[in-house]
Amino acid sequence: MATIEALRTLVSETKPEEAAEMTAELLAAGLDPMEILEAGVMDGLSDVGDRFAAKKAIVLDLVRAGVTAKACIPLIQDAFPEGEGQQYDKKIVLGTMLSQHNIGKNLVSTLLSIGGFEVIDIGEKNSPFDFYETAEKSGADLIAVSVVFAPAMEKFTELIDLLKELKVRDKYPVIVGGAVTSKAWAEKEGADGWGEQAKDGVLLARDLLGIA
Amino acid sequence: MGRLFWEVIQRSTTGPIMSEEEFETERLPSVLASVQAKYKIEADPDEPIMADPDMADAVFKAGMELLLELGLYCQDTKRVIHFTEEEIKEAIATARHEVVLGQGRDEMRLSPRAPGDTKHPYSWSPAGAMTTNIDTYRTHALTVVQEPACDGVIPIPLFGVNDTKVVAETPAHTLVCLTEARIMNDVAGWAGRPGLFFGIPMSATTPITLMSTFDSGLYNKHNCTLPVQILMDMRVNFDRFNLVFFAEQQGLEPWMSCSPTLYAYLTGPEQGAIEIIAQSLGMLAYSGGALTQAMSVSVHGVYSGNDISWCNSAAALAAERNLQLPWLSIGSTVDPGGPMSDGAWYGTALSIINACISGMEATWLSGGSTGLEARWAGEISRAAAGLSPSEGIEVIKKILTAERAPAPPSTKIDKLYDLKTLRPIPEFVDHYKKFTRIFKEWGLEYPSWDE
Repeated sequence: MATIEALRTLVSETKPEEAAEMTAELLAAGLDPMEILEAGVMDGLSDVGDRFAAKKAIVLDLVRAGVTAKACIPLIQDAFPEGEGQQYDKKIVLGTMLSQHNIGKNLVSTLLSIGGFEVIDIGEKNSPFDFYETAEKSGADLIAVSVVFAPAMEKFTELIDLLKELKVRDKYPVIVGGAVTSKAWAEKEGADGWGEQAKDGVLLARDLLGIA
Repeated sequence: MGRLFWEVIQRSTTGPIMSEEEFETERLPSVLASVQAKYKIEADPDEPIMADPDMADAVFKAGMELLLELGLYCQDTKRVIHFTEEEIKEAIATARHEVVLGQGRDEMRLSPRAPGDTKHPYSWSPAGAMTTNIDTYRTHALTVVQEPACDGVIPIPLFGVNDTKVVAETPAHTLVCLTEARIMNDVAGWAGRPGLFFGIPMSATTPITLMSTFDSGLYNKHNCTLPVQILMDMRVNFDRFNLVFFAEQQGLEPWMSCSPTLYAYLTGPEQGAIEIIAQSLGMLAYSGGALTQAMSVSVHGVYSGNDISWCNSAAALAAERNLQLPWLSIGSTVDPGGPMSDGAWYGTALSIINACISGMEATWLSGGSTGLEARWAGEISRAAAGLSPSEGIEVIKKILTAERAPAPPSTKIDKLYDLKTLRPIPEFVDHYKKFTRIFKEWGLEYPSWDE
């Protein structure tokens, strides 16, 4: 039987086809899309994250969970009534620093879009200058950085230094998240916010951009 | 270089085409899981060391099968390089089992040692500091090279040369590495140890920087080796082959190295150990090297824990029983507490005792970046050399449950040493003496300055 709890389990067990099918069933049954997203998809992802923290899952499981979520999210996005979601006139430059990982970043991108932000996704393997250049060209309001491997941590520091050097640090709040990061590290490096989970990105963006 | 070197290059252009994503997310995990299950390799999470000879042999067989089944992935051509069992067996049969590093009084002959061998693993401690300040870097290195129990050093990567910061893949990068080499030669000469071994050029990360640094002669076949290591998770590229050929042309000892990251694509220490064996055999086939460094790290960013030490010991024992290559692993747990912390000193002892009872020939990055920590690493290496595996595990379990005082705030070199005399300050010596006392109480007897 299709239930939100069952969807959460399918996402947690990284079964993309079955999860997408169940998402469609739940939507057809008239359940709230936001409830399906948060209690089904997001909580399923959190379960995988918890197992990863306990060394019961690996990065590949996180990737597979991301693929599973990606199979469900477009269905949920389409189910939001036209014009219901509030759109803010705020642009966010989002990308992965240095490495080719993209699942967490893609999830943040989706949630920010659902949350009403215009996301300029610059993809993976970015340098600090890529973030700066895109923000300047697009007139962005915030920069969001995914840091997944240790060498990228140093590059994040370089980004903060670069923004200071170019005298635009105050112009762009910078938030960061990713497997190797921590709140203490983010604060030490001068980030304006750190997200433990993908959904934290939306909360941080709202907070830093003054959206109630 | 390896007998298969030219053949491997050809195969990198003719092997089966595969996307890197398929190789890393589908082929690698499925073959690894299959060989792990076939040979029933399971770690006990409560055991910090793997000392079972039968399981070590199983790890070796699984590693061999992983290489034969999976092959190596060439990033430049997107093709898989496969080997036959006969080819790998021939590479093993013709492998060198001894290397000579350093010169004169500091010459080291790394030849096979079994677990419990009274011959100690050589201890190579980090020299320098993570800084752009050349004076600070030199001072750290001086404190280390003056220690007689330090058998060789591993330069810490320089971040720049005073105001000139590293800019990767530019002459600034080469300048920094040349400066590292110059300082290593200077401090070794100052300590009366011109034949000291310097490990690998640690400030270099690109082939051109490595080659340029060796071209200077500051690093050479007597005092340094050339990294030809495989890339993470069974991958190679043309840079690896160019470095192997350069090593051959210059008469340099290749530095074979593998550092699997647990919990990325590997489910745990068992798969880490299997992959180390597979990668070592692959490197052996194409590079013809002998000296092999193998240490695991967790994707969670730590170098300590039962999973890490289990993986390192399992791979080392598997190699000792089936390859007998000169083998080394990390001689510390990279504890963030710093030179005055208990965690760092216990971590060094744990890693080195692991090396002793797993049949390793050396440890690298042993201790911390100060001379007294290098002394500790070298002395523990000598003290633990004769321990049987069960005796060593007993000491390691004591280390794991020992009480640790809170780590003091990070302490700089000028607060640990009298920089005029290069002698450690009394508080630092007391810290050292505390640990020599603890380990003597635990049954380790060794010559130290704690008299």
